[in-house]
Amino acid sequence: MSVFSTRLAFAGVAVLALTGANTDNFDVSSQIGPNPVLPPLQQYLLPPMKLAPGVGWKQGETPKVPADLRITALATGLEHPRSVYTLPNGDVLIVESRSPGLDPYSRPKNIVMNWMESMVTSNGVTSGSNRITLVRDTHGNGPNLRTVFIDHLHSPFGVALVGNDLYVANTDEILRFPYKDGDTSISGPGTVLTPLPGGPIDHHWTKSLVASEDGSKLYVGVGSNSNITENGIGAEFERACIWEVDRATGAHRIFASGLRNPNGLTWQPQSHALWAVVNERDELGPDLVPDYMTSVKDGAFYGWPYSYYGQHLDPRVHPQRPDLVAKAIPPDYALSSHVAPLGLVFDTGTGLPSRFSGGAFVGEHGSWDRQVFNGYKVVFVPFSAGVPSGKAEDVVTGFLDDKGNARGRPVALALDKSGALLIADDVGNTVWRVTAANPQQASK
Amino acid sequence: MSTVYSRSGSPVFRLLVSFPIACFSAAFVTDVVYVVSARIMWADFSDWLLAGGIAVGVLAAIVGIADAASRRRVLPRRPVLPLAIGGLVVLLLAFLDNLVHSRDAWTSVVPEGIALSAVIVLVMLITAWADAAAVSRARLRYAEMVA
Repeated sequence: MSVFSTRLAFAGVAVLALTGANTDNFDVSSQIGPNPVLPPLQQYLLPPMKLAPGVGWKQGETPKVPADLRITALATGLEHPRSVYTLPNGDVLIVESRSPGLDPYSRPKNIVMNWMESMVTSNGVTSGSNRITLVRDTHGNGPNLRTVFIDHLHSPFGVALVGNDLYVANTDEILRFPYKDGDTSISGPGTVLTPLPGGPIDHHWTKSLVASEDGSKLYVGVGSNSNITENGIGAEFERACIWEVDRATGAHRIFASGLRNPNGLTWQPQSHALWAVVNERDELGPDLVPDYMTSVKDGAFYGWPYSYYGQHLDPRVHPQRPDLVAKAIPPDYALSSHVAPLGLVFDTGTGLPSRFSGGAFVGEHGSWDRQVFNGYKVVFVPFSAGVPSGKAEDVVTGFLDDKGNARGRPVALALDKSGALLIADDVGNTVWRVTAANPQQASK
Repeated sequence: MSTVYSRSGSPVFRLLVSFPIACFSAAFVTDVVYVVSARIMWADFSDWLLAGGIAVGVLAAIVGIADAASRRRVLPRRPVLPLAIGGLVVLLLAFLDNLVHSRDAWTSVVPEGIALSAVIVLVMLITAWADAAAVSRARLRYAEMVA
């Protein structure tokens, strides 16, 4: 009670000051790696919000890369590209997607936050998009073909090809389309393999998708329906988890749970474990909770919503579930708080300098709820023997200009057939292609 | 004699001020139901009730101030201080309570939210009592004066 009264007395004079909460010099790098420093949690009257207005790239501007890399645009003028996928023949699919816009106006807060976001962001496209564009670059010197591959999708994100079956994860279903080598467009509505949790509320709407290495199963990242259960625990049914979907029948089971918003599902090349990047919860402070990447263990529970990083309880969740918290395991590798990782790819190709071989690239969309921007870049995490073996290093930067505007924001990543890194940029409306500056340096 | 002036100001003010009184009282009730049920819908109700109460409460305050400032002094001045102070405290507390309720899930209500909602109801009761007492005293004074 004394904490409460002190806080109240303080609140009267500090209502406006409370948003400037991360003026302390917290070392963000202490939250990169396997054992992040977790400061005490804070709760706000006015949580900090700092959004980067989207301004796009001017002619000739590109993100920055180190001297041993080169970056060029593979495709520009896209409509909110969120993910990329390379077909076996080298054609690149660019998934252009917009939010289904199904967040409810449950509270006055929703109106205020939507208004603030609409004031500064240009990434809330409200029409068009929701399609897949195919880009073909036969000679490696720029695309010589660009077609609308599949149109009229419903907030699509994940794509996976198994044999002649092309799967697209809309926000509310997995669709199967027939594909044969060389196709440049697919018409027809596709066949529903299984519905996925979509509306009527659809807070985290991107459904990341990957096929098992033998092709028998599909793994789908299904994000939570809230920040921290503020839409009710009922809205979280079969969410905040990774589904394993049987490709033959469409039946599913929960492969792993407690993952607030898992994306970038992919196989680690040495360990053959499933890895994902996960967006952790907001409004506990500028340095809580660190987003992370982790191997995803079958049947494991990673805490959300009840706890974070193992058994650190979240006081906003009631009733608590001590039985589940007891099982919660910490993830493998923290990426620091609110960087919003949405893309993950392992360097399994030969198109990049050998220092990247076998490591992971992570696309960090960037923060909105801390006073100092975090993320807005692609980082590289070295791996050895299937586990992370060092600090994350900035690889692609320059998405923010020096006035704090967003020229672009990286989302999902992929490698193209040559092993170059592809980056979907949903504010710059571009797909970037990163290659070795000197092709001789590329790992062979 | 007893209707020299109304107990609580002009009809428009009375109409408006009843709205935040009802909203803030109801917000305490919906907070209690949320704490008992843990059903988020009730916390959402509290949030809207506080916001709506504040919106109309601010309007009532504007009308009240205009009334107090512009009333022609044919009749003796109605005591306004208890309502003015009480009303201001209630509106400030409700704003604070509304911010607390903008947190997500359980801690939007427990413990600060519901405590503030209870304090607001208490301040409203004290204000009503103080206002009634001040009006009665003023009436007595007026009656003595007329006599």
